[in-house]
Amino acid sequence: MEFEVDEKELKASGAEPLPDGRRGLRLHGWEIESLKRPILNSRQLQEWEQKLQTSHFPEMVFGDSSLVLKHMSSGTKIHFNAFDALTGWKQEALPPVEVPAAAIWKFKTESIQQVILDYDYTFTTPYCGTESKEINAELGRGATSEEANGSLCWEECKEEIDVASLALKEPILFYDEVILYEDELGDNGISLLTAKVRVMPSSWFVLLRFWLRVDGVLMRLRDTRMHCVFGKSTNPIILRESCWREATFKALSAKGYPSDSAAYNDPSIISQRLPVIMHKTHKLELPVKP
Amino acid sequence: MSDLDRQIEQLKRCEPLKESEVKALCLKAMEILVEESNVQRVDAPVTICGDIHGQFYDMKELFKVGGDCPKTNYLFLGDFVDRGFYSVETFLLLLALKVRYPDRITLIRGNHESRQITQVYGFYDECLRKYGSVNVWRYCTDIFDYLSLSALIENKIFCVHGGLSPSINTLDQIRTIDRKQEVPHDGAMCDLMWSDPEDIVDGWGLSPRGAGFLFGGTVVTTFNHANNIDYICRAHQLVMEGYKWMFNSQIVTVWSAPNYCYRCGNVAAILELDENLNKQFRVFDAAPQESRGAPAKKPPPDYFL
Repeated sequence: MEFEVDEKELKASGAEPLPDGRRGLRLHGWEIESLKRPILNSRQLQEWEQKLQTSHFPEMVFGDSSLVLKHMSSGTKIHFNAFDALTGWKQEALPPVEVPAAAIWKFKTESIQQVILDYDYTFTTPYCGTESKEINAELGRGATSEEANGSLCWEECKEEIDVASLALKEPILFYDEVILYEDELGDNGISLLTAKVRVMPSSWFVLLRFWLRVDGVLMRLRDTRMHCVFGKSTNPIILRESCWREATFKALSAKGYPSDSAAYNDPSIISQRLPVIMHKTHKLELPVKP
Repeated sequence: MSDLDRQIEQLKRCEPLKESEVKALCLKAMEILVEESNVQRVDAPVTICGDIHGQFYDMKELFKVGGDCPKTNYLFLGDFVDRGFYSVETFLLLLALKVRYPDRITLIRGNHESRQITQVYGFYDECLRKYGSVNVWRYCTDIFDYLSLSALIENKIFCVHGGLSPSINTLDQIRTIDRKQEVPHDGAMCDLMWSDPEDIVDGWGLSPRGAGFLFGGTVVTTFNHANNIDYICRAHQLVMEGYKWMFNSQIVTVWSAPNYCYRCGNVAAILELDENLNKQFRVFDAAPQESRGAPAKKPPPDYFL
C-alpha cells in the first residue's frame, strides 16, 4: 500500500521525488529512501547463516529491505537493516523466555531423551540503527568505500526530541514503514522489528521499533526515535532517543489491566502501560564541508 | 441446483453464508467427519496443499493451478483460518466442498483449528465482525474437533500438519487417539499439529520456548521404516520456495499461502501425485491485486510519534 503525496506540497517545500520508481525523496541535502523487498530465500539464508554464524533466524527476514537516510554533502548515512539488527541480537544473546506450557512440558517429557535448544528465539535486539560515512561522497553513487562508525560519534545529551513540534499536523511529504524481520514465535506471540519514517517540510522523523509479545508471559518494546530538524546555517544535528519498556502479563494483571493476548495487538496503544526500563538520548552532529 | 451447490457458488464469489446455513452445513459435515479415521486413507491421484490462512483469493489461484474439486482429488493439511482477511469464506468453502464431494477432498486439522489459537490470531474477530455474534465461530470450532489428524496416501505417504511425536512410533498409535477435543497443550495429538523437523538435532529436540518438539533425521528414518512409508508430507512452516525437502528426501514441507500475510513475497506450492505416486510440485504466485475485489485503500498519513 503506497502513500500518495500532494505534488504541490512537494514542490513548495523544495523536495524532489527519487527517480526510476524508487521510493523516497531528496530534501534539504538529504536523500531518504525506503526499500521493500520479499523475505530472504533459502540460498540467501544459507549465506546469512555463514556470515552470522547461526542457524536460527526469524521466520520472515526482510534482508533486502532497508530504510536509508543519506546526508549528501557529508556522505553520512543512517540506515536500518535486518542484518545489523540480527548481529545485535546475536551479541546480546538473552536467555530464552519460557512459554506458559513449559511448566507441564518439563514434568511430562522428563523421560524423553532430548536436546534442549537455548538460543533467544524472541530475536530481541539492542539495535538502534547503523551509521556510516562514505569517504568519496562527492563522487556520487558509484563510491562505495565506507568507513565504519569510527568518525561518527553519538554523544549522550540532555536535549529531548521536540514532541510538540512533531504533533503539529505539518504536511507529510514522504511516509513509509519497512518491516525488517518478523517471527510468530510458533504461534506464541509476535516478534517484529520495523522502521517507520515521515518527512515533513521542517524535519524528518524515524521510529525503529522492536515489539515482542510472548503470549501469557511478557511484552517488550524497544523504541529508537530519530529526529533531524532542517536548518540553513548550522550543521545538521540528529537527536536519538532510545526507550525500552517491558512488563510481564502477571505484573499487568496485578495492576488491573487485561491479561489476554488479544488486548495487546497494537503496541502504540498499550505502550504507556509498560514501565520504562531504559531511556537514553544521544545526538550526532554532522560535519559540513567547508 | 441444490442448496449446497448454490452455497458453493456463493462461497466461490467470497460471499459468506447466512448463520443458519453455516449451522446446517456444520451439522452435515460433522456426520461425515465423525466417520473418518485419525489416519484417513486417501487414494492417488491426489493433490496435497499446505497452509492457506484465510487467503481466499490466493486459494482461488491454487484451484486454478490444481484444477477444480471434484475433478481434482484434494488433501488439505490444515491451517485454513487466521492471519488472512477471509478465514470465514475460506473454511466454509472447503467445508462445503467436503460435504458435497466427501470422497474428493480430505481436510485434516492444523494447530490453528483450535478455539484458543483462533481467539488470538484473527478468526474469532473476523466471525464477530462479519456476523455480529460469535455463533459462527462456535459452529466452526466445534467442527474443528472432528477433523482428522493425519492421512495416509496409498499406504506409502504419511501426511500431517506439523510432524512427529516422541509418544508415537506407529500409525496404529495415532489411530487410538480420542481426537474429538480441543487441541491439547501437550501429548501426541498436540505434537502431530505443532512439531517441526530441525537440522541441528538428530534425535528429539525441545524448542527454546520450553514447549514444542523438534525432530531430526534419525527420528524420521526410524518412523518411515517402522511404518513402511516412503516419506512424510507436512505443512506448518513458511518456506520461501513453496516446498522444501529435508533429511535426504524423507520429509517434505508444503506451503500454500503465497505472499504470506500479504507482505512476505514468497511463492506457494502444491504437490500433485499421479496414480503411480509420481510427484510434481506446482508453484504459484499470489492473486493479482485487481482480482481481490475491493482495491486496497491508501492509508492516511500516519503522524506516529
